[in-house]
Amino acid sequence: MKFVDEFRDADLAAMLGREITALCEPGRHYKIMEVCGGHTHTIYRYGVQDHLPEDIELVHGPGCPVCVIPMGRVDDGIAIAERDGVILTCFGDMMRVPGGRGSFLDANARGADIRMVYSPLDALRIARQNPDKQVVFYAIGFETTAPSTALTVLRAAAEGIENFSVFCSHVTIIPAIKAILDSPDLRLDAFLGPGHVSTVIGCRPYEWISRDFKMPLVCAGFEPLDLLQSVYMIMKQFSEGRAEVENQYGRVVQYDGNPVALKVLADVFTLRPFFEWRGLGSIAHSALQLSPKYAKYDAELRYDLPGVRVADPKACQCGEVLKGVLKPWECKVFGTACTPETPIGTCMVSSEGACAAYYNFGQYAKQRLSLEVLQ
Amino acid sequence: MSSLDLTGGEVGATCSAEPGCITCGDVAVVLSVETVEGSDARCRDEQGREELVATELVGPVQPGDRVLVHAGVAIERVDVAENLERRSPQMGE
Repeated sequence: MKFVDEFRDADLAAMLGREITALCEPGRHYKIMEVCGGHTHTIYRYGVQDHLPEDIELVHGPGCPVCVIPMGRVDDGIAIAERDGVILTCFGDMMRVPGGRGSFLDANARGADIRMVYSPLDALRIARQNPDKQVVFYAIGFETTAPSTALTVLRAAAEGIENFSVFCSHVTIIPAIKAILDSPDLRLDAFLGPGHVSTVIGCRPYEWISRDFKMPLVCAGFEPLDLLQSVYMIMKQFSEGRAEVENQYGRVVQYDGNPVALKVLADVFTLRPFFEWRGLGSIAHSALQLSPKYAKYDAELRYDLPGVRVADPKACQCGEVLKGVLKPWECKVFGTACTPETPIGTCMVSSEGACAAYYNFGQYAKQRLSLEVLQ
Repeated sequence: MSSLDLTGGEVGATCSAEPGCITCGDVAVVLSVETVEGSDARCRDEQGREELVATELVGPVQPGDRVLVHAGVAIERVDVAENLERRSPQMGE
């Protein structure tokens, strides 16, 4: 296949693995966090870790947008959907995220009208087709997805569509990385930066990490060789005593991002003072809400919502998994009470969640076997 | 140009229910522009699947252009060949 096989070449992967191994300092253990859930998915789907020496440990980060949605906001979505004359629309993975009153799928079974869409523009189309209904888009995602929502709001405004609004849970990646670096639980050596988020925001917003924390960060693509090359670039920095922001994903990421997308984001959204992240707690200036200019499209203003904070199930350790403190298989309910079919925690819902990635691609069995042997 | 501070205000920069949900996983796909329809473009992937894509965020496109698409919106242009050329010497170092 054109332009894909080149990034999955096994011989090149093996060669890169050898070069990475050669760059390891004897006796040193390296912890590299992949921030993005898409990277976690690639790592386990293609066995990227198998090409790395044992001295390099990949730690999963908080970059799965489904995984960081707190249960209370799921309940808010259900409260909107249960109103007469409302169609709630959302991305596919949101359908199974458990809230305090069940998931969106459960709400549908009770009679709500919640529809899965591929794009917020599809939600706007549903609004055009159903002028007698209120159509709400349940917006989640990082800076990769937020421009799509912003563009949809701009189109709704331009067309004068009144029966459309957005329940906005878009989050931003930089404050989450800062929260992780401020956490006393975790020692990291470097980051694999989120490639598609960086397409929008560029590489410059990460420079404080290398400057203040003396840690390398490489913005990485999503194919197996992208990730291996990015690890190679990080190890090269270590071997040369450098700590810099570098861009491996140059085929789509510009160092200053996409200025048009950033301008649209600035027009449509403003930062929330605080936002609760599942597992990470409340983080300042880490999420978006519609700006006053577009307030009439804000579902949180249009509807009276419960807005209740719901505690995670006690057995669930998604918080520690999201911070990279625990491996998924170290959670007490992983693979037993919590599976992709019956998820307790959000990390088991999305295929980009660390727990689901472990579960679906066989690492679970391997790690659990090792644990049993040790015991 | 006005800008939105996505840094948390504390760091010095400005700036399917089925497995594999393309939007939730921050997944973006490379598509080729087939035809331009106003602000949208009819695009096609390597398997021949078609999709209508909003193009306002990448500027005017024309047939043959390759764009990175996320949630029905093109978020950047793609230059695969340039990256492959850049990749080879780095790998061989």
